[in-house]
Amino acid sequence: MAKQKFDYDLIVLGSGGGGSVAALIAAGAGKRVAMIEPDELGGECPNYGCVPTKSLLHAAEIYDAAKRGQQFGIRSGTLSYNYPSLKAWKDLAVERTGATEGKRLYEAEGIKVIEGEARFISPHEITVNRRHLSAENFIIATGTHNAVPPIEGLDKTGYITFKEAVNLTRPPKSLFIVGAGSVGCEFAELFSVFGSKVYLADITPRILSKEDEEVSELVRDTFENERGMSVLTNTKVLRVAKEGLAKRVYFTRGATETSVKVDEVLIATGKLANVDIGLENAGVEYTPRGIQTNDFMQTTAKHIYAAGDVVGPYNYTHTAIYQSRIAANNIMSKQKVAADYRAVPRVIFLNPEVASVGLSEDECIKRDLPIKKAVAPIAIIGRANTSNAEQGFVKVITDRHGILIGASIVCPRAGEIIHELTLAIQMRMRASDVANTIHAFPTWSEAVRIACSKVAKM
Amino acid sequence: MNTTIVKRSKTTEPYDDIKLMRSVYAACLAVRTPAGEAEITAKRVAKELEAWLEKKPEVTSHDIRIHIAESLHTYNPHAAYTYKHHGIVH
Repeated sequence: MAKQKFDYDLIVLGSGGGGSVAALIAAGAGKRVAMIEPDELGGECPNYGCVPTKSLLHAAEIYDAAKRGQQFGIRSGTLSYNYPSLKAWKDLAVERTGATEGKRLYEAEGIKVIEGEARFISPHEITVNRRHLSAENFIIATGTHNAVPPIEGLDKTGYITFKEAVNLTRPPKSLFIVGAGSVGCEFAELFSVFGSKVYLADITPRILSKEDEEVSELVRDTFENERGMSVLTNTKVLRVAKEGLAKRVYFTRGATETSVKVDEVLIATGKLANVDIGLENAGVEYTPRGIQTNDFMQTTAKHIYAAGDVVGPYNYTHTAIYQSRIAANNIMSKQKVAADYRAVPRVIFLNPEVASVGLSEDECIKRDLPIKKAVAPIAIIGRANTSNAEQGFVKVITDRHGILIGASIVCPRAGEIIHELTLAIQMRMRASDVANTIHAFPTWSEAVRIACSKVAKM
Repeated sequence: MNTTIVKRSKTTEPYDDIKLMRSVYAACLAVRTPAGEAEITAKRVAKELEAWLEKKPEVTSHDIRIHIAESLHTYNPHAAYTYKHHGIVH
C-alpha cells in the first residue's frame, strides 16, 4: 500500500471518535497517517459533548440524591452548590480524557497532526492552510454542526447551544429549550436540578419522540411533577425578542399564541453534517444530512471512506468508533466488514436513566413486523423496594419466533443494564434464553428477566 | 479577501472579485436581463461568495462555480443555468 506517489497512505479529516480510531489503527499497522483537525483535538465528545455533559449530570444526580436523603434517614443541614466549582470539576473530567494533550499522544503513535481546515481539491488531494497533501485513502470524519431553526429575532437576541451550555458560570434563572430530543432533555434535567425554571418545547406531539411512547410519557411525568418543568409539546416557536436583559419567546401551542420571559434560550434542534469540504472535487456524493456510504463505510469515491456523525444514522461516539474501525479494516484488509446496526445501545442520561437498543415499537409498526412485547415495571422487583424508587420499567420486543429485536429501559442504571439486551439482540437470542438466565437479587436487572419471561410466555 | 483559487490545471491565482462579478454579469446579460439588474445581481452574488470564502484560504475554481450557480439561482435561475452549463467560469 505504501506507494511514494502520495504524501500519505491515509489522511483522516477530523480527530473525533470517527477519525482518531482509524488513524491509530492504521498508524499501528505501519501506515503513513496524517490527521487534520480545524477545532479542538478529540472532536465534540470530550470537549463539548458526552464528557462535559455527563460529568455535570453526575454532579446534578448527587445533589438531587442528597436533597432526597431524608427519606433514608440522612440529614444534611444546609445543602447548596457552587457552580464555578462544578464547572471546575467538569473541566477536570475533560482534561483527564487526554484531549488537551492529544497532539503529543498522536504524534507518539506516528500520526502527523495538522491543525487547519481541510478541503478536497481533487480526488486524492486536499489543501490545508494552503499546503497541498495527497493520500491514497481518506477517511472523512468531520462531524456535525448545530442546525439552528429560522426563528425570527434569534440572531439579534442571541442564544446558546450545547457548546456554551456546558461552560456557563451559573445556571440561568429561567431557560427556554427549543428541541426535546436527547440533548434538550439532558440539559433540561441538568439545569432544573440546579434550580432553573425550564421550558422544554418541541414541535412534535411528545418529548424524546424517537423513543417508545411509554418512555416519553414517563420522562414527561418526571419532568413536570418532580422537576417542575413546563413541557410544551406541539409547540412552534415563532419569534424571540429582547426584553431588558431577558428574552421573550413567542410560540404557538394548538391554535393559541403565547409568550414567556426567560433569561436564556438554548437551541437543541438537531445537527447538520459538516460537508462543506470540497466533496464535489473528490466525487463524493452527499446531502445536508450527511455523506452517503455503503455498508463498508465507503463513499461514492471508492478510495474515500467516511465515519461518525457526518455519516449517521446515529450521532453517538460508540457508533463513530465502530464505523471508524470498519473503515480502517476495509482500507487495509481484503476481508471487508459491513456495518451492522441491529444492536446499537442508546442512552439518555436523565434521572432515572433512559436506554434503548434495537427497534422501537414504532419502527416495528412502520416495517409491518409482527411482534410480541412485554413490560415489567421496576416497582415489582426487590431493588425498587430497597432503593425506594418505583418509577421505571423494562420493555422488550421480540419477533413472532420469540427472538429479541428491541428493548427500552427507564430505570436507575439503565445505561448499564441495556448491554445485557444489546448482547442478546446482537447474538439473535430468544427472550426465553434471557428469562432462563439467573439474575442476582436484588438488582435492577431482575426486571429484564421478568420482562423476557413475560414475553416468552406469549 | 486572501483566498487563493486553484484552477483545473493546478495553477493558482488570487481571488478577484471584479473578474467574478464580470462573469455573473455576463451570465445575466446572456439571458436578456437588464444591465442594471445584472449589475445588482452580480454584486449580491459576489457578497455572498465572499462571506462563504471568509475562512477558506484555498478553494478550487469548481467550488466557486458551484457556489455561484447556487447563489445566482436565488436571483436569476436562467442565468444560473447558463453560468453552470455554458462555461462562463471564473
